[in-house]
Amino acid sequence: MNFFKSILIAVAVTVLIGISHSASADKLDDVIKSGVLNCGVVADFPPMGFIDKNNEPAGFDVDYCKDLAKQMGVKVKVFNLTWGDRIPSLISGKTDVVVGSTSDTLERAKSVGFTYPYFVFKFQVISKKDSGINTFDDLKNVKVGAPLGTTYETEYLAYAKKKGWGKSNYTAFKSENDGYLALYQGKIDALISTNTNIAVKLATEEFKDYAAGPFVPNYDDVVGLIAKRSEVAWIQYLNLFLIHQIRDGRFDELHQKYFNSPASPSMIQSLRDNK
Amino acid sequence: MSLFTPLSWNDTGFILTGILNTIYISVLAISVGTVLGLMIGFIRSVSTQSINFVLGSILDVLRIVPLIIQLILFSTFVGIMGHPLPPFASGSIILSLYTMAFMTEVFRAGFDNVSKSMGIAARSLGMTYWQSMRYIVLPIGMKSVFPSWMGVALSVIKDSALVSVIGYMELLRTSEQLITRTQQPLEILLGVGLFYFIISYPLSTFGRYMEKKMAI
Amino acid sequence: MGDYEFHWLIVFQAFPQMLNGAFVTLHVAVFSMFSGIVFGVLLAIGKTSNLKIPKSIASSWVEVARNTPALFQIYMAYFGLGAFGIHLSPYMAVLCALTFVNSGYLTETFRGGLQTIPRTQYVASWSLGMTKFQAYRYIILPQMFRRVYYPMTNQFIWSILMSSLGILVGMGELSGETQRLQSLSYRTLEFFIIAAAMYYVMTKFVLYSADIMSRRLFKGEI
Repeated sequence: MNFFKSILIAVAVTVLIGISHSASADKLDDVIKSGVLNCGVVADFPPMGFIDKNNEPAGFDVDYCKDLAKQMGVKVKVFNLTWGDRIPSLISGKTDVVVGSTSDTLERAKSVGFTYPYFVFKFQVISKKDSGINTFDDLKNVKVGAPLGTTYETEYLAYAKKKGWGKSNYTAFKSENDGYLALYQGKIDALISTNTNIAVKLATEEFKDYAAGPFVPNYDDVVGLIAKRSEVAWIQYLNLFLIHQIRDGRFDELHQKYFNSPASPSMIQSLRDNK
Repeated sequence: MSLFTPLSWNDTGFILTGILNTIYISVLAISVGTVLGLMIGFIRSVSTQSINFVLGSILDVLRIVPLIIQLILFSTFVGIMGHPLPPFASGSIILSLYTMAFMTEVFRAGFDNVSKSMGIAARSLGMTYWQSMRYIVLPIGMKSVFPSWMGVALSVIKDSALVSVIGYMELLRTSEQLITRTQQPLEILLGVGLFYFIISYPLSTFGRYMEKKMAI
Repeated sequence: MGDYEFHWLIVFQAFPQMLNGAFVTLHVAVFSMFSGIVFGVLLAIGKTSNLKIPKSIASSWVEVARNTPALFQIYMAYFGLGAFGIHLSPYMAVLCALTFVNSGYLTETFRGGLQTIPRTQYVASWSLGMTKFQAYRYIILPQMFRRVYYPMTNQFIWSILMSSLGILVGMGELSGETQRLQSLSYRTLEFFIIAAAMYYVMTKFVLYSADIMSRRLFKGEI
């Protein structure tokens, strides 16, 4: 009996060591071993992420996913996530990394791991050309919209509160796209969005009567890739990847591809300085 | 790079996939929910008050927490537990459980409808318990609850649209994506509404017809 | 539990905002219920009448409301009407959609209730010298409401739960507010657990008070 017991214990110990051993392999190893990078994007934020005419996700972020996979020598699987899906998908391991223009606030960093910044946006107002909105204070008496739970919504609401504007003129949208649809339909007079998305929209036939307006005062939206907070080595690898994208000129190339202009030297400098 | 492109015939396959996904997840949830509901409904109709209290409280949660929140919570929760599920799996699990919660009450009423004396009569004819179940209680009881069953099934088809919030590409999410690309909400939404109506209207009419027929 | 650590403090700090959201949920449900009852009664009378036009309006309203998803109706009220230049706020869009559905279901409930009242009662009330309006007001409708009390309670619960779809048009009811709050800190699970509990408490409270009210109103005879 004792003999069997000791065998059982030996087996149990071996199994446990096996489990703990495999658990000690980190995300970086996992991705390389499995040969697939599960990369999340949000196709609601052109030109970073959008749906092309074949109804597939495309954009700057999707190209970043592909570049990362290529550097790692693995295949890429792109997941089209909703904004709210980004964190659960990471925590659950459905995705290894999310390239999804996530603003790196300290509050969020308590929940999820951020890399160095990979892009910098400015928050801007888009409205009809004849709307007469020239400064941010002109938003006082018009109907304003922004996507729910974004940093620019927070910024606008904080500004409005400081000025005592009240909330009656404000409408939230569940997504960036819904906001543009509402602006297009005339539900709202002005939408707060990011300079990049606005530039893309203004280039289309549908938005030819619209113009980019004032910027949200004193605010840069700095965004990073996100990964599971505990995967420090993996985040370190992603940081190096981001540095290489800039160093090798790939960042500039993609900027040219999606924005029809080279990246501004100040943005490249600030990304190089990791801030 | 063209951001907005109008609807075209190329989208037919995309829309069709959305439609099939809606049908697929609804049929699955209704079937699983019916089987589970039948079993638990039976258990509820024969068990003691204390067991019923426990069962009832669990089912209550499924009925009282909005489906949209159940979906968000479940898909986040399984992720955090380390077992990520694709939207389809999370969606069909929650939708099936949600269906089950309502079906349980439907079937429980069915079992209660068949009076005890009918069961006893069957037993006195020499039938075993399971025979009386199989030939008397189930056919009569289930027939009487058919209209309510139909009502729950129809609401599940409609509620399946909510699975879109966790990313399952059913009809509504498909159409939302198309609206974004085409900026033509009215045409697309009307098409979606028409689809649901075409599925749901004949079934609900049939359900009401059966209800009338049985009432007589 | 994997390596997930729950952070509850941030949820409790945001609790007043969630309560605010719950308040919006309750009042959109109450308003949609009241207007649903008004339209429901009118439609039920329309459906039982012999006039062709009110009858067909009532039937198509009821069939569309019952046979399409509430989510679709909310989108329709928001972006569908927007295409015609009719711009409802998220609150109004949800209120209209819920009213539309509530009245569709309540019409059938009321009609069922009306049908159970024997024809002789109408005749009796007229023979007492009541006008048609008085007969409805004092004899028919009170009896009908007694019979449809429980289905109405269920419809009210349904309104509370379905107002959670406001999240999809950026409305600030309990779900929408929760969505906003969680996206500031990404504590999805914690925030939605509390929201679920709040829905549970609200609904139980409504069921409980409906039960007490029914005992007061009908003294047990239904």
